[in-house]
Amino acid sequence: MMRSVEGVMYQVNAPKGVDPDDIFFVQVDPNKCEACGTCEEVCGTGAIKSINDDGIRQVVDTAACMNCGQCLVNCPYGAIYEGVSYVDELFEKLKDPDTVVVSMPAPAVRYGLGECFGAPTGTYVGGKMHAALRKLGFDYIWDNEFTADVTIMEEGTELIGRVKNAGKEGTLPLPQFTSCCPGWVKFVESFHPELLPHVSTCKSPIGMLGPLAKTYGAQETGSKPKKMYTVSIMPCVAKKYEGLRPEMDDSGQRDIDATINTRELAYMIKKAGIEFNSLPDEDPDPVLGESTGAATIFGTSGGVMEAALRLAYEVLSGQKLNDPDIKVVRTHEGIKTADVKVPNFGTVKVAVCSGLSNAQKLCEEVKAGKSPYHFIEIMACPGGCVNGGGQPIDPDVRASLFKSMIAKVNRRYNARKPVA
Amino acid sequence: MSAMKMTRRGFIKTCGIMAGYAVLSVNMTKEVFAAAMNMVGMRQKQVYDADAHVYKIRKSQDNPMIKKIYDTKSGFLHDGPCGHKSHHLLHTEYKDRSARVKALKDKGVTLNI
Ligand code: SF4
Ligand code: SF4
Repeated sequence: MMRSVEGVMYQVNAPKGVDPDDIFFVQVDPNKCEACGTCEEVCGTGAIKSINDDGIRQVVDTAACMNCGQCLVNCPYGAIYEGVSYVDELFEKLKDPDTVVVSMPAPAVRYGLGECFGAPTGTYVGGKMHAALRKLGFDYIWDNEFTADVTIMEEGTELIGRVKNAGKEGTLPLPQFTSCCPGWVKFVESFHPELLPHVSTCKSPIGMLGPLAKTYGAQETGSKPKKMYTVSIMPCVAKKYEGLRPEMDDSGQRDIDATINTRELAYMIKKAGIEFNSLPDEDPDPVLGESTGAATIFGTSGGVMEAALRLAYEVLSGQKLNDPDIKVVRTHEGIKTADVKVPNFGTVKVAVCSGLSNAQKLCEEVKAGKSPYHFIEIMACPGGCVNGGGQPIDPDVRASLFKSMIAKVNRRYNARKPVA
Repeated sequence: MSAMKMTRRGFIKTCGIMAGYAVLSVNMTKEVFAAAMNMVGMRQKQVYDADAHVYKIRKSQDNPMIKKIYDTKSGFLHDGPCGHKSHHLLHTEYKDRSARVKALKDKGVTLNI
């Protein structure tokens, strides 16, 4: 069964215990494809290509697709659909009094969700999002931003270890790559497995919140881990793949039971008849809910880097960082590099990169032994998670560009018509 | 591509493609991308605004719940970041997935990498 959710088609499909490598998380509907080629242009790996003389595109094989969804959000014809949706199962769990349903929204969700309710692009709706989750019936409003802070503690400590012990036996190599982005992680596993020792051993924030919810969270709230149902809420399609990784069961259960994205959350709020715009701002539940500015900037390219530097600076220098803004690592697209001076230590060399074709360049550099960096942040989507494949579709892409394109096609076609 | 083999649907489409495909497809990708990046910039700006104005605490290490979980006496992760419990729950190992990509290439599929 297929369902339209915020302008995107979804296959109603909640896989359990299935190898995620066998699932098409995005695929093209051949009846809607207009052969414009936009998807192929934005795809970093070449997974989506023309399959016949008509120019109809398909994702040719799951092994080549990193599930980033950039083809989907950029297709002007709405021809690309998602292959996995837990919405129906989640509605069932929310109704079941015996299930403890736990919310785990990513930072970028709160900068996209409002758009589905008419707010201007990027409007921060964190407080309303927490209120809506409570109204939907989630038992614990925990937040993935808390584990973004945990990630900084873990990944920052790992980086400081690699830097301090560089060259010593048994030390993992530099540069250290971030591991938050599931599109990037599958990319490096698929195309550059020899670089895996460079990838931080940290799970992503959601990979950390799942097991913490079912251990620490269960303990703090007196819940039975077996009854808990953890819901990863993401601006992303590739997080659906990550949630299904077989190794994600360190809590003794499945760490993440369901993954939905921003569009699906908006759909659920509307379906439940919740008046989103008139909701009061509410806080998440403490313990696994409280977060910081460092956590929220995980939603943009350069954010993990800046958040990590806010920690590394203080640890390496032994001094307080007075101004937490480290603007040199903020970036929009492409590759940005910076030298960050840390007192009592020296220079930390960093690179921030988004888009898989840019990631490819940095991987080649590391392989050639020419990478001068300590720390490299990589996000599969240009600009980072705020531009993830699970975010609301830009109406400009679908409406005005569509119209202007039709106009152009007609104009060109008419201009070239032979004179009768 | 031969016209003989073409379906009607294909023919109509190819007319459109021939009429403007070369110029159009490239332009359109740029336009779609430019519109998308414009929107991304607006979302990014809101993230940094919230970091500076909405969140009272700006550094992970200053989050009271982070201090609580890593408390060296009573914290759930009392052995610290990258400690024993962290390693068990919060760290992972990666998998070499290159074999399937190689098989695909051996079948003659061209990829960008
Ligand atoms: S962007 Fe959409 S319409 Fe254009 S070729 Fe790709 S799937 Fe088809
Ligand atoms: S999801 Fe990403 S990797 Fe997969 S086909 Fe689309 S753009 Fe390419």
